[in-house]
Amino acid sequence: MTRRGAGLALLACGIAGLPFLASSAYLLTVFNIIGLSTIVTLGLILLGSSGQVSLGQAAFYGLGAYGSALLSRDLGWSPWATIAIATAATAGVAYLVGVPTLRLAEHFFVLATLGFGIIVNVLMVQLVDVTGGASGLRDIPGLRIAGVSLAADRAFYYLVWGLALAALLLAQNITSHRTGRALRAILGSEVGAAALGVEVSRYKMQVFVASAAYAALAGGLYAHYIRFISPSPFSLYASLFFLIMAVVGGLTNIWGGLFGAALITILDQVIRAQVPRVFPRVGGEYQTAIYGILLVLIMIFFPSGIVRGALDLGRLLRPVGPEPAKGGSA
Amino acid sequence: MLALLPQLLLTGITIGSIYALIALGFVLIYGVTGILNFAQGEFSMLGALVCATLLAWHLPLATAALISVAATCVLGALTERLAVEPAFGAHPLTLIIITFGVSMALRGLALMLWGADPYALPEFTPGPPLVLLGGVLVRQAVWAIGLSVAVVGALFTFFVRTVPGAAVRACADNAFACRLVGISPRRVSLAAFTLSAALGAVAGIVITPITGATYDMGLGLGLKGFVAAVIGGLGNAPAAVVGGYLVGIIESLATGYLVPGYAGAITFLVLLAVLFLQREGVLHGAQRRQA
Repeated sequence: MTRRGAGLALLACGIAGLPFLASSAYLLTVFNIIGLSTIVTLGLILLGSSGQVSLGQAAFYGLGAYGSALLSRDLGWSPWATIAIATAATAGVAYLVGVPTLRLAEHFFVLATLGFGIIVNVLMVQLVDVTGGASGLRDIPGLRIAGVSLAADRAFYYLVWGLALAALLLAQNITSHRTGRALRAILGSEVGAAALGVEVSRYKMQVFVASAAYAALAGGLYAHYIRFISPSPFSLYASLFFLIMAVVGGLTNIWGGLFGAALITILDQVIRAQVPRVFPRVGGEYQTAIYGILLVLIMIFFPSGIVRGALDLGRLLRPVGPEPAKGGSA
Repeated sequence: MLALLPQLLLTGITIGSIYALIALGFVLIYGVTGILNFAQGEFSMLGALVCATLLAWHLPLATAALISVAATCVLGALTERLAVEPAFGAHPLTLIIITFGVSMALRGLALMLWGADPYALPEFTPGPPLVLLGGVLVRQAVWAIGLSVAVVGALFTFFVRTVPGAAVRACADNAFACRLVGISPRRVSLAAFTLSAALGAVAGIVITPITGATYDMGLGLGLKGFVAAVIGGLGNAPAAVVGGYLVGIIESLATGYLVPGYAGAITFLVLLAVLFLQREGVLHGAQRRQA
């Protein structure tokens, strides 16, 4: 077994055992949110591997959630089917968005996704007849397997983490073989990659569609887990939040996605609980101050993520001596 | 329907003059450093809120406005030195994410300092609204339009007629060549952020008597100014100013003739259309075809 395989098996065991160690409903909810965020963040990291940043990720998350919720609630279809349909449809939307936008230079692409995200969010608020407007959609059916409800936090935990691990493996596969090498070439230099025969636009489109599908899958799961959706979790602010998770983990580092999603979700819970004690007057999104400063610090000091940054720091601090042999035949 | 038109146009030009100032700030920073500064709108928010606070301390309006512009300038310089300069030369995406971080940080800090309630400023010259071409214009709107024209004029004079202005333009043109002749791109970058902060602060202070000021006003203003700058081609200051007026008018017409809630989406549809049609911006492209 390779080291990577062993690491993954260990991670899977850890995740499977976690609910037995920490079984309060609150903790399970937090773990579930981490699982959902991991899937979305993995999508952003796939995209980041091709040198693109999206500020519309929450819009795809929302399209998956609203699509699946509406189909299952109003047409009575099985949520499993509607999650799949909504994910596929969102991937289609991403393709349509990608055709004109992916040929833009990277900072214009950021702008285009930002604009797309805001338009989708405005539609969620304004199309009251379809989306329920700002007050949202209620009574979304929950997920069931053979008549057994998965609404309980623990049952959903295994579902979402099973899918998150599958998403992780898939992303790992995408980035470690031929496509991965092509993406790294594109990240280094689009012109250079094209000159070497890499079909730049095809690969960029593939990861963009994949990233949207990741987000939509998580969105569908979210809708049937919480069973109530409104436009606010899919706003520009949410897109930024996912971006922070990706950046903390390292924008091109697949395993960092898991780490970033976990760290930021936990940090968010701590901040929500602690900051009001210091600043009792404030409500709303005061925590943006902390995230903003965090974002700036990470981008200045650890532009490839905290994990990589800590490793580099460790190497720097190690006493001077012969360079240690690099990890075997990896 | 048509009777509404003059009123909508006047409103559009008023708000457009504010967007023009913010767009100019974007273009200034982008031209010199190649950075899209997403924190631009927060400068407007800070200018407005600091001014409102100073006024509450019984300072005269003019003094309060000047001090708050100066304070925002310091903040713009600090932003450059603390957040942007340390990452100088990094990937453009890194720098964009940094300015997003700065924007979030400033918004969050403003919420902690000022709370979520809106603040007001009095009109610079109180009085009954003016009637013009069948539309009503509040006096403050005249101030907004006049001041933005004056500031834009002063800025162009600075760039065209003065040596520091020429240094900034030279730096936007070719930073490497600038270093060869002894102009420091880093100092010019600092100057660009400081000046952009001043532009933002003026915009924020001037519009507050009409719209009020809240901690989260910067996001909307900044994004609209941004769209204006992109319409103008991002590298072209006069086109960005025209872009500002265009965005203001489009937004006003959309609010008047469509469901108001969709107006925000319309602006960004225009942005997407501009990005799709021509990366350098519609106005810039038209200019190029003429040449």
